[in-house]
Amino acid sequence: MITVQGLAKRHGELPVLEGIDLEVAEGAVEAIIGPSGGGKSTLLRCLNGLERFEAGEVRIGALRLTPHTSPRRDAALLRQVRRQLGFVFQQFQLFPHLSVLGNLVEAPMHVLGLSRDEAEARARALLERVSLSSKADARPHQLSGGQQQRVAIARTLAMQPRAILFDEPTSSLDPAMAADVLALMAELARDGQTMLVVTHSMHFARQVASRVHVVVQGRIVESGPPEAVLEAPQQAATQRFLRQVV
Amino acid sequence: MSEGGRRRDVIACCLRVVALLGLAAGAGAALAPPLPDDLLAQLRREGVLRWGADQEGGGPFVYPREDDPDTVTGFEVEIAEALAARLGVVARFTQGQWDRLPDMLRTRKIHVVLNGYELTEPRRQVMLASRPYYVYGLQLLVRSDDAGLRSWDDLLRPRAGSPRRVGVLTGSAADDYASEHCAAVCEVVRYDGNTDAMREVETGKLDATLQDTPIASFYASRFPGLRPLGEPVAPGTYVMYVAAGETALHAALDEALAGLIRDGGLEAILRRYGLWNAQQEQLAAGGATGELRAVSPGGPAFVTLGERPRGWAVVRDYGGVLLRSAGLTVVLAVLSFPLAIALGLLVALGRLYGSRWLRWPLAAYVELLRGTPLMLQLYCVFFLLPEVGINVPAFWTAVLGLAINYSAYEAEIYRAGLQAVPPGQMEAALALGMSRGQALRRIVVPQAVRIVIPPVVNDFIALFKDTSVCSVVTLVELTKRFSVLSMSTQATVELMLLTAALYMAMSYPLARLARRIETHLDRGGAQGTGGSSARGGSGGGIDGGTRASSKTSGQEAPA
Repeated sequence: MITVQGLAKRHGELPVLEGIDLEVAEGAVEAIIGPSGGGKSTLLRCLNGLERFEAGEVRIGALRLTPHTSPRRDAALLRQVRRQLGFVFQQFQLFPHLSVLGNLVEAPMHVLGLSRDEAEARARALLERVSLSSKADARPHQLSGGQQQRVAIARTLAMQPRAILFDEPTSSLDPAMAADVLALMAELARDGQTMLVVTHSMHFARQVASRVHVVVQGRIVESGPPEAVLEAPQQAATQRFLRQVV
Repeated sequence: MSEGGRRRDVIACCLRVVALLGLAAGAGAALAPPLPDDLLAQLRREGVLRWGADQEGGGPFVYPREDDPDTVTGFEVEIAEALAARLGVVARFTQGQWDRLPDMLRTRKIHVVLNGYELTEPRRQVMLASRPYYVYGLQLLVRSDDAGLRSWDDLLRPRAGSPRRVGVLTGSAADDYASEHCAAVCEVVRYDGNTDAMREVETGKLDATLQDTPIASFYASRFPGLRPLGEPVAPGTYVMYVAAGETALHAALDEALAGLIRDGGLEAILRRYGLWNAQQEQLAAGGATGELRAVSPGGPAFVTLGERPRGWAVVRDYGGVLLRSAGLTVVLAVLSFPLAIALGLLVALGRLYGSRWLRWPLAAYVELLRGTPLMLQLYCVFFLLPEVGINVPAFWTAVLGLAINYSAYEAEIYRAGLQAVPPGQMEAALALGMSRGQALRRIVVPQAVRIVIPPVVNDFIALFKDTSVCSVVTLVELTKRFSVLSMSTQATVELMLLTAALYMAMSYPLARLARRIETHLDRGGAQGTGGSSARGGSGGGIDGGTRASSKTSGQEAPA
C-alpha cells in the first residue's frame, strides 16, 4: 500500500536521502533501523508530506506524491494522504490545551465529521484498549511519557488510518515506559495493523517486524526478514551499525 | 487668551509636516474642501450655529458651570447664543482642543472659532477674522506683600543674585511680550494652564505673572494673595475666525456682532462678567486704538466665581461628572480593544502563515503604526480624511484610532505567541488530516492565546490610559475632564486624587482578572508539549530529545 521509488532529498547541497525504494504491503509491519542522522525520520516524514523531496515518488494506494507536490496547491491531496497514514511522533505532540479525551475526539469530529457522541464512544473504546480509561479527563502534562505516547497512538488510531508511521516512538522514554509502548505496538501488529516503524529497539525489530530496512547515510543498504538482517548481515555498513548498538 | 504648551508646539509642527505629506499625496483635489455647499446656507437650513471652543481654557471665556459641570458657561457662551439668536438659529457649543480649533474650522466641523483667539497676522492669512468682540491687555500680577515690587520698573531692574521669575502661559501674547521685554533681566517661566502661574506666584515660586486682563480680573477672588501692578500693557483684540472662503458666513456673523455691539447686548454680557471697561468702547469703532487704560470693574458684576471648593466638597460636586467621563473612557477602551486584538491576530497570522505578497505590507503596517504617535494617527483620521471626503465622527475616530494603533502592538505579541507554540503541534494537527486553517484555529491559536494573556492584559491597561489622547479629537474623557475642572476650580489636588482613584478603579480589577485567568489556565496545563517527565530518559535511543526537536523545526513542508 506504500510504494517509494527512487526518492531523493537534499538539504541544500547536502544529500539526505538517495535512491530510496521501499514497498510496504497491506498488513505488514516493517522496521527501519540505522545510525543517527542517517535519514530514517526524514524518509518517514516524506511519506505523509511533512517534508518535500527532490526526486522520485511516493504512492499511497492511488495517491501520488512527487517533488512537485506543493503544501499549498495540493493541500487536499496531502489531507487525503494523511487520512490514510497515521503518524506517531517521538515527542508525542499531544495538544496541551485539550484533555486526553479532547485530543482523541478533535480530529474525528473536525476532519471526519463525526458527531461528538460517536467520536467520544470511539475515543473511550481506544482509551480502554491502551489501558488509560481513567485518564480521559486528565491533561497531557499530568501523564507520564509512556502514557502520553499511548494516548498519541490512540489519537492516531481514532482516525482509523490504513497504515501508521512511527517515528522513534520510544526514544524519549525510559526503558520501563518504552516496554509498555512497544507491547501496545506489538498488539496492534497482531491485529493486522499496517505499520512502518523507525526504531532503535532491536528487540521490537526482531520480534514484531516482518521486514527490517537498514538506512545508512541516506540509503537503504540492506532489507530483509529480521533474522537474516540482524543475525547474518550481508553488508559491512549493517555489520558496523549492529556492532555499535549491541 | 492663548494656550498650548511647548509639547503642543512640537506636535503642531509635526502635524504640519504630516498634513503637507498627506496633501501632497492627495494631490490637488484634496486641497479643496469637498463641500460645495455654502456654509451659511447649510447653517440656516440646519438651524444650528456650531461654535468651537475649549472649556479647558476656563473662565471667564468658556468653563463648566459650577452648579452643573456637564454644561458650559462664560461670556463667550453668551456671545455665541446672542449671535445665534440674531441669525435665527440655535448655538451649539462644540468642544475642541484649543490649538486644534482652526483644523476643525478647516474641516467644517464647526462654523466659527470663538474662544479668546487674538487678532494676529498669521491667523488672518489662513482664516477670515471678524470684527473684535473684546479688547484685552496684559496685566502684571504680584504678591500683595511683596515690598520689593512696586512698579514695572522694579521688575525690569536687574536684581543682585538670582534674577526674578515671571510666569506666563506658553505661546500666549503674554509669553511674546515677556520674552521681548523681560527676558534680559528676568527668567521667563512658561506654563500650560491658565492659572498655574497665578498659583505659583501666590506660593512664592514666582515673583510675578503676566496675564490677559479677563483672566486676571475674573480669577482675582480665587487668588486673594495677588494684586495687579501697574496698568495693563500691550493691548490686543479677541476676534472670531471663520474658514477661508466662507465670506457669506463671515459677513453674517460680522453683521450680527455689529448689531450686538450697537444695541448694547455685548456690553451687558461683558458687564455681567466684570469685563466691561473704557477700552471696550472702541469695539463700536470696530477695532482697538489708542492707549489702554487700567481695567476697572465697570458697574456691578453679576457673574463671579464662588468660593474655591475644597476637600470632600470637590468629591461631592464634581465626582459625578468625573465618573461620567470615566464612563466614556471605559466605553472607548472596551470597544476598541477587542477590535485591536482581532485585527492584531489577523495581522500576526498573515505575517507568519500568509503568502509572501501579504507579509511585506503587513510588516509595513505594523512598523508604521508602532513608529508614529497615536495622537498623530487620530489627527490624521479626524482632520485629514475629511479633506478627501471621508468624515468619521469623533467617537468612532477615537475607537478606530485606538483599535488600529493597538492592533500593531497586539500583532507583535501574537506573533511571538504563535512562534512560541512548538512547530510539532502544527505538524501533529496536519498529520491528523487537518487543513492548515483548522490546525491554526483549533490547535495553534488557542495555545498562543494562553501564552500571550499577560502582555495582552498589560496592553489593555495601557490602552485605558491612552484613551486620554482622544481629547485631541474633541472627546472629553477622564483626563480632559480633570484638566477642565482643575483649571476652572483650582481644586487640583482633590481632582487629581479623584481622577487617579478612578483610573485605578478601572485598571486594577482588570489586572486581577488577568491573574485569575492565568492561574486557571496554568492549572489547566497550557505548557510542555514534549512531556518533561520523559525528556530525561534516553530510552533505547542514541537520538536525544534535542535532536528530535531540531528536526521537527527543519524545513518541513507546511511552514
